[in-house]
Amino acid sequence: MANFFPRWTNVLPLKIAVCLGVAGGGVVVAFTYYATPKAQRVGYQPAQPIPYDHSLHVGQLGLDCRYCHSFVEHSGQANVPSANTCWNCHQHVRKESPKLEPLRRAYDETYANYDGAPIKWVRVHTNPDYVFFNHSAHLNRGISCVSCHGKVNEMEVVYQAKSHSMGFCLDCHRDPARHLRPLEEVFNLDYDPKEYLETHEILDAEGNVIKTPKELGEFLKQHWNIQSKESCSTCHR
Amino acid sequence: MSKRIWQHPEIPAEETGVSSWRSVGELENSEAFRAHLEREFPEGSGHLSEEDRESSRRSFLKLMGASSALSGLALVSCRRPESYIVPYKKAPEWIIPGKPLFYASTRPCAEGAVPLVVTTYEGRPTKLETNREHSDGGGSSALTQASVLNLYDPKRSRDFLYKGAKSSRENFAKALGELAKTPGKIAFVCGEDDCPTRNRLKGELATVFPDARFYSYESLRGLGKRATNDATFGDGAEVVVDFEKADRILSLDCDFLGIDPHGNGIAFAKGRQGGAAGYKHGIDSGKMHRLYMVETAYSLTGGMADHRLRVAPSRVLRLAGAVAKQIGNGMEDSPARQELQSVTENIPPADFEEKRALFGGDAKKFDEWVKGCAADLLKAAGRAVVLAGSRHTEALHHLVIAMNKALKAYGEGPLSAVRTGREGYATIEHLVKDLNEGRVDTVVLLGPSNPVYDTPADLNFASALAKAKLSIHLGLRTDATAKACTWHVPAAHYLESWSDARTATGVYSLVQPMILPLYDGVSELELLSQLATWKEIDWAKVESGEAEAPILLSGEGAKGAASPAYHEVRKSFAGIGGEGEDPWTEALKNGFLTGSKYEAAEGGADEVRKLKAETALEEALSRTSAAPSDESLELHFMADASVWDGRYIDNGWLQEAPDPISKLSWDNAAYVSPRTAKRLKVYKEETKLVPTTKTPFGEVESAPKPEIDEGKNAEAPVVVIDIKGRKLRIPVLVAFGHADHCISIPVGYGQGATDGREGVVRIREGDPYASVGLVGQNTGFNANPLRSRAHGGFLETGAKVEVTGEKYPVALVQEHNAMNGRALAREVSTQEVAHRSFEQQVAKVAKQGPVDSHAPENISLYMRKGSTTWEGDRKKHADLVSDKIHQWGMAIDLNTCIGCNSCMVACQAENNIPIVGKKQVAMGREMHWIRMDRYYATPTYERDGHGHIEKEDGKKKKVPSWVSDNPELVPQPVACMQCENAPCETVCPVNATVHTEEGLNTMSYNRCIGTRYCANNCPYKVRRFNFFDYNKRNPLIDKNLYKGPFGEKKVGEAPHLQRNPNVSVRMRGVMEKCTYCVQRLESAKIKQKQIGRAKTLEAGVNSTSVAVSIEDLRVKTDSVRTACQDACPTEAISFGNLLDKKSRVWRAKWTGEKTEDGLTAKLPNPRNYDVLNYIGTVPRTSYLARVKNPNPDMPDAKYRGLATINTA
Repeated sequence: MANFFPRWTNVLPLKIAVCLGVAGGGVVVAFTYYATPKAQRVGYQPAQPIPYDHSLHVGQLGLDCRYCHSFVEHSGQANVPSANTCWNCHQHVRKESPKLEPLRRAYDETYANYDGAPIKWVRVHTNPDYVFFNHSAHLNRGISCVSCHGKVNEMEVVYQAKSHSMGFCLDCHRDPARHLRPLEEVFNLDYDPKEYLETHEILDAEGNVIKTPKELGEFLKQHWNIQSKESCSTCHR
Repeated sequence: MSKRIWQHPEIPAEETGVSSWRSVGELENSEAFRAHLEREFPEGSGHLSEEDRESSRRSFLKLMGASSALSGLALVSCRRPESYIVPYKKAPEWIIPGKPLFYASTRPCAEGAVPLVVTTYEGRPTKLETNREHSDGGGSSALTQASVLNLYDPKRSRDFLYKGAKSSRENFAKALGELAKTPGKIAFVCGEDDCPTRNRLKGELATVFPDARFYSYESLRGLGKRATNDATFGDGAEVVVDFEKADRILSLDCDFLGIDPHGNGIAFAKGRQGGAAGYKHGIDSGKMHRLYMVETAYSLTGGMADHRLRVAPSRVLRLAGAVAKQIGNGMEDSPARQELQSVTENIPPADFEEKRALFGGDAKKFDEWVKGCAADLLKAAGRAVVLAGSRHTEALHHLVIAMNKALKAYGEGPLSAVRTGREGYATIEHLVKDLNEGRVDTVVLLGPSNPVYDTPADLNFASALAKAKLSIHLGLRTDATAKACTWHVPAAHYLESWSDARTATGVYSLVQPMILPLYDGVSELELLSQLATWKEIDWAKVESGEAEAPILLSGEGAKGAASPAYHEVRKSFAGIGGEGEDPWTEALKNGFLTGSKYEAAEGGADEVRKLKAETALEEALSRTSAAPSDESLELHFMADASVWDGRYIDNGWLQEAPDPISKLSWDNAAYVSPRTAKRLKVYKEETKLVPTTKTPFGEVESAPKPEIDEGKNAEAPVVVIDIKGRKLRIPVLVAFGHADHCISIPVGYGQGATDGREGVVRIREGDPYASVGLVGQNTGFNANPLRSRAHGGFLETGAKVEVTGEKYPVALVQEHNAMNGRALAREVSTQEVAHRSFEQQVAKVAKQGPVDSHAPENISLYMRKGSTTWEGDRKKHADLVSDKIHQWGMAIDLNTCIGCNSCMVACQAENNIPIVGKKQVAMGREMHWIRMDRYYATPTYERDGHGHIEKEDGKKKKVPSWVSDNPELVPQPVACMQCENAPCETVCPVNATVHTEEGLNTMSYNRCIGTRYCANNCPYKVRRFNFFDYNKRNPLIDKNLYKGPFGEKKVGEAPHLQRNPNVSVRMRGVMEKCTYCVQRLESAKIKQKQIGRAKTLEAGVNSTSVAVSIEDLRVKTDSVRTACQDACPTEAISFGNLLDKKSRVWRAKWTGEKTEDGLTAKLPNPRNYDVLNYIGTVPRTSYLARVKNPNPDMPDAKYRGLATINTA
């Protein structure tokens, strides 16, 4: 009986297996990258009901973060301002601007289209429900907004600048010194440790003047007894 | 592969001879019980039944089909979903998003209001804690803890009903207007809580409606007690007990720690601790109080008693008489003595038969008991007190008042008679009479009771109510009374309304709303206030259209103003606490008015009282002349620890919390003693007393062989109880320590069923106004039709029992998660045992376990004591696992733990623990993170003075049956011990359970893949597994859990609002367990971290020059409390930082420190011990041994205080 299958078919299963393996692996690698927060989240920049411009309010006008995110030092959540906060200024400034229409609908009872419905801001930074991140714990210990949110003061439309993956959290929790800064500079998003050291003379425990940003971070970590935890219950409860 | 079974060591000879058990199964060492011991979850809890598997397979196929069809779409729609942040329009004052707000409020309660601090998140009340600033604040009960769930009850009434059909608010307002216009002979029926504003409005209503009459009713308050107190101390008087002043307590069927609350639990615990409260000193046996208990069925108070006598309910009076006579004989002549003697002379002496029944034929023992008790009380005169159960008749209460007078208990002593505001309310019996005789034609029912359901059958309340031409019911539920009334008005919960209340000692406390009424409920005060003001409206103008008809207001006033109830409360407050804003704001902030309390009662007319006492006594004695027997049983009704008088039947937390004594959940049953069960032949013929069952402790006597498989197929035999033609079909359970010839039945169950059970109202499918919701339906049996007014409504004689041969499935949890080991709970006696003094016994507590005495000391991984074990290479890693700021630990004091379930329910509220329903509980799938183990224990053999077992004719001599039939009851709450050397951690394949630097054994739910290896390896059996998505799928709908995504998801509209936002809601397939309330620890730590900024601001310098030390970061001593600790009514749980030597938990575990050779060692508190110490888990939770303080003159003194629990 003749051979139904030519000789080359002997290695066919192996070839198929190798090809499938490579293809499968490729898909896995591609998907793994694609599914990471780094690919999925960074750069997320939704349109907001009011195109609030941080670069204008913070960068140019010099508004402090805490004017709007008022409870960020006290609460786990950094609150988004209630309509009355916006209205404090905008009842006087550019009240008629069409961009502010949702605010006036929510708050200005004299406005023709007033309906009292609160403004629905689109969430940019989000954590899963099982992550209990606490803003106040970080801000009161010398971690700045900029470490996780990037230079919001330069953003015209806010986008997610960092991945906020668990690895991202742990990088810092394992070596917090790189991100520590004096409490006065926490809300200064343009803080530059080198400049700071040039203008401030800080002595370490032995009485030597601190010269490099690295030394400053290490010094603050020791000085404030910062022991960032890596155990699960720190964030997952 | 079978699990390797740990061979627990032999019990040392001197500790054998005490047998302990949780259930009949354990006593008999049944196979089912062995399975419970050896498995992490009961057999079958991890499997699907054939039927369920079928339905689950089908849904799997459906699901697969659906999901593959959807997957095409899914790829397209694989976009990030947009979510929104919706801030307030105008930020309300005080609310900080993400932070809880605490308000002081009060839970009104007939036994005295409960001062509370309510936790709210963005306006949602989620958790109730006790108000520790309040002089009457001190822990809370399971009922208080669970009352927040009633607010979100999906079955809450939300519609106005007219004759059972939906009507509207406007129609009711019209009807109310008619009533205000032409009130007629109106009757108001209130609850028995003391509400000053209601009392004031009562006065106003009485002037507006001259024919108005007022009544108060709550089914379990006891008419006898009320009548006696009224007669003795004046109308509305109440007797308050202060346990701090009580050295000797005789309780006559008064479960003051459980279902008949009297006095403050913390004060009781102080007396129990004999100077050791707060652990600054050890227990001084001389300072410890002594508790005598006389009761029928075991109660929590009975479990705490040093001496306990089990008697039939009708014999309580005779026993009290015997003790009273001895007291009279023993004291010097005085008016009090004469009075006591005049009361007791009519009581016949206990006859020989009775004595035999109580002490197994040894009549001398009975006299010894009575004499010993009376002498002890008399010796402590001035600091001794006798308490009688509220439900008992006037006769007993009169006698007890005479006894207390003789013991100088009033005034300077533990008791004080006070004048409450409950003056001028008649009883329900008067109401029925007035209705029948036409003095009342309109009834407004405002109280929390359900009189159509919960009054004795022969009162015929329903037919009397039907005679009224108009009846209005205000209530949270559409219960039987709601349906029997013309109008039903949905009520506001106390967390939604303005009101005020008096605590047991009369502290004026405020009730403030946390949220606007969820379903537009009307509060009692709003209704009364509007009725009073509407009287003044010019109705002629309304009719002619000149004036507008008034609107029924609730929650808030017109145009967003404050509710009418607010103004009424302000008005009352102005009269009590002073005019103006300042005192009001202060009282509102604190929750109470400082310095307010009840005035002392003057006392009533003596002659009237004496006459009443004598007639009551004669009547009571003639009714109960014959002692109960096999042919004529006594039936005794009690409050239910879960549903109370039936008002909490729709509360899932309470239904699922097992009864603290019987460990039965979701049902009630008739309880009988093992002997009576045998005589009644409730088990089949072949069931016989097995006198020589072999257990590892030796031979155990006196229990019928169980036919009850106490696992998932647990069934109880059903009997029919017959009292003079009134019948009840009910399952029977054996209750240890129960009096013979008696049956106890908790009331409150059986309010609605779909399965057609006898004697229970049938519910139509899908009826929105059914008397009970999904939670309450098909639970238990209604005992009220058996009750009659004779004997105060809680005792019936002459009952007969017929065994039906039927079985009823029950969810008994007593064997679930049974721990296996030695010396689990430990107990010592203040009396000498085996030539060991109390001090010597205490010193040996930690070594009580069999190998604990010679096992090497456990070395902590986290707090190295300078041992060589962890020296060398590992030493440098020590810092990795050791936090220098916090190391958390807990100590549970079994000496003050009463086993009340308060911690269990508080934990459920705090940690978002779901209920799983009766069927799932029966399978052992309950989710409670704390379980309350309850053991019975009794010595088996007689011992000589050296502790050796006595022999008689070459055999070991058994203790008499009156001892073994009356075992001790030992409760032990068990939650995760946070072992430093945790067996669960080493077996987790995915590192989902790991240790923190602070000594917590944490669980990260999102890593858990549900292998259940950890539960398998946990010697304490504290891990719980989510077999289903209990949080998302309603477990109360039949088979719903097995339907997967096709099941009914909705549990109700609002229960999710109760959730604690700081705790993950776990899903199916995840392990969970106690975390020491890690969310509270983290938030306390984070709060403390703000200190760096605070210090900087204070110093006014640059933050870089401000150091933050370890002490700065340490949470303040004892400032963080776990939910269970906070709820504990006796402060049995201590929790805190073990590195803080000032903390209470530190003192509970150690008495001090000693430095030797440069090494500091802690001196252990001798009463403190670790459970299963010998297996080396180094648990962070330790226990303190129980102490019994028996009276050496009592016949059972040498048998008490030996209840150290060993499992085979």
